[in-house]
Amino acid sequence: MTRVRVTAPRQSATAAPGRLPYPREVAEDSDAGRIFIRSLIRSQLRLALVVACGFLIILAVFAVFLVYGPGVAETSIFGIPLDWLVLGAGIYPVIGLSAWLYNRAAARNEARYRDLVEDQ
Amino acid sequence: MNPAVGLIAFVAVSLATAVIGFYGLRISRTTGDFYVASRTVPPWWNASAIGGEYLSAASFLGVAGLILLSGTDALWFPVGYTAGYLMLLLFVAAPLRRSGAYTIPDFTEARLDSALVRRVTSLVVVAVGWLYIVPQLHGAALTIRITTGLPSWVGSTAVVLVVCLTVVAGGMRSITFVQAFQYWLKLTALAVPVVFVLLVLAGNGTAPQAPLPINPTGQAPAGAYQHISLLVALLFGTLGLPHVLVRFYTNPDGQSARRTTLIVLGLLSVFYLFPTLSGAVGRMFAPELAQSGQADALVLLLPGKLIGGVPGDLLSALVVAGAFAAFLSTTSGLVVSLSGVISQDLFGGSVRGFRLAAVLAAVVPLGFAFTTDTLALAGSVGLVFAFTASTICPVLLLGIWWRGLTDAGAIAGMLTGALLCGGAMVVGTIMGTGNAPAWLAQPAAWTVPAAFAVTVTVSILTKGRVPASVNRVMSRLHVPERPVATER
Repeated sequence: MTRVRVTAPRQSATAAPGRLPYPREVAEDSDAGRIFIRSLIRSQLRLALVVACGFLIILAVFAVFLVYGPGVAETSIFGIPLDWLVLGAGIYPVIGLSAWLYNRAAARNEARYRDLVEDQ
Repeated sequence: MNPAVGLIAFVAVSLATAVIGFYGLRISRTTGDFYVASRTVPPWWNASAIGGEYLSAASFLGVAGLILLSGTDALWFPVGYTAGYLMLLLFVAAPLRRSGAYTIPDFTEARLDSALVRRVTSLVVVAVGWLYIVPQLHGAALTIRITTGLPSWVGSTAVVLVVCLTVVAGGMRSITFVQAFQYWLKLTALAVPVVFVLLVLAGNGTAPQAPLPINPTGQAPAGAYQHISLLVALLFGTLGLPHVLVRFYTNPDGQSARRTTLIVLGLLSVFYLFPTLSGAVGRMFAPELAQSGQADALVLLLPGKLIGGVPGDLLSALVVAGAFAAFLSTTSGLVVSLSGVISQDLFGGSVRGFRLAAVLAAVVPLGFAFTTDTLALAGSVGLVFAFTASTICPVLLLGIWWRGLTDAGAIAGMLTGALLCGGAMVVGTIMGTGNAPAWLAQPAAWTVPAAFAVTVTVSILTKGRVPASVNRVMSRLHVPERPVATER
């Protein structure tokens, strides 16, 4: 291993060796390639927006339920009031689940894009 | 509390930080090691490191303190801190890793092909970083004052000294190990004492002094506007934090950046159970801490108060160690990313310049910390998130997802957000906490949409300035990396 003197902060981090982006040149240089990229970006954006909105709606439903839900103020489980339980612990699994679902779907979108480019 | 306990804990954490840092330095050999840990860091290490860097004084001390004061209203803070990472995962994580940019100014410069955008972004990033370091130093001052009785300035100065030494000496590799270690230290330091306290309380059958739902200081519950504004700030502020962004370069590719973020979400969710638990125990068994204005010191004082004796001292030492881990890790993460930005824009990017910049990045907020007062920690960090959400977030989100963004739009949006949110923060501080109306105390709900609106409007008006490179940059951000044959 050779020693390298670091002289300046790098402005851009390059991809790790062997992980060059997928045939970008091909994709950018043809009309079909540009369309594939656009549709990939659009489907990823749609996915992100759907997950974000879904999560925010669930959050809002939780919040409204805790304030206006009948009998919420009096309910407690093992001596812990329901609103403490929901806000202090109940929301976290929802966050994790949204993230997990998103990761799977985003990877699927990318796999579909790869298949399209390979077919070219 | 025995003053020696606090001192010993602080010295031990600083030494451990330095030792891991130097050990890491010895095995950093290549340029890649120095900058981005060669991207050989496995996702679990990396996620622990992100968690370690992210969990600051606000999370460690502030959340429990705020829960003590305002109960369920405060529970939204950890929810927002965690959900902010969800937004980061959805909109930023993979594209940003693929962008290849190393800091936020690098990203905006590459995306918009403009050196002026770079300079404005750098200014905003430095402002965010400095604003964020100040509450860490306040936390350190509070911890040293409460646990050792020494004057406040000792705590903040000590943190700045340790951070400067480690940052000047080490690269990113050592920082990754240090940060990962500090996540687990912080988790242990909060979880063990509160579980012990609960066991002891259950053991002697102590009756609670106050019911959980009642605020000990009689503080009025927050309205819907405050909740919404807080959530906007926390959800959209996280994805612009400069020290969080750099961490994503230790992932080999976009997909592993997403995997890492998923693990981070799990780590944060587990962590936040414990400040919540501490806050709840504090409300029921030590509500008088809220009256004496020591709410932020709740987790530090709880073991000594409810257990006492030698076990109480030992547990206190653990909490103090965790607290310093929080100040040190967040501050050093911020100082590293700030000095990268400052050295490039001010000192031409030499290693000497990087070191000078590191000292500058740490000493200026120390001056702020001396001249300002300790507010509620979680609250003041919440304001920094509002500032980030109003300035960096619109540029980052629109830059990643919208081809129409122009340099003029980006600059106009950042300046609008900075002026509106910064103005609200200044006016709110002058009026004093408690006197400022809700829309000034929690400005994010209107400053973030305003910044977005200005960015989009100006970009549409200056359509001709969309950079020619936009297609190339966009495909770089979103096109997945080639799968590697050796990858399992």
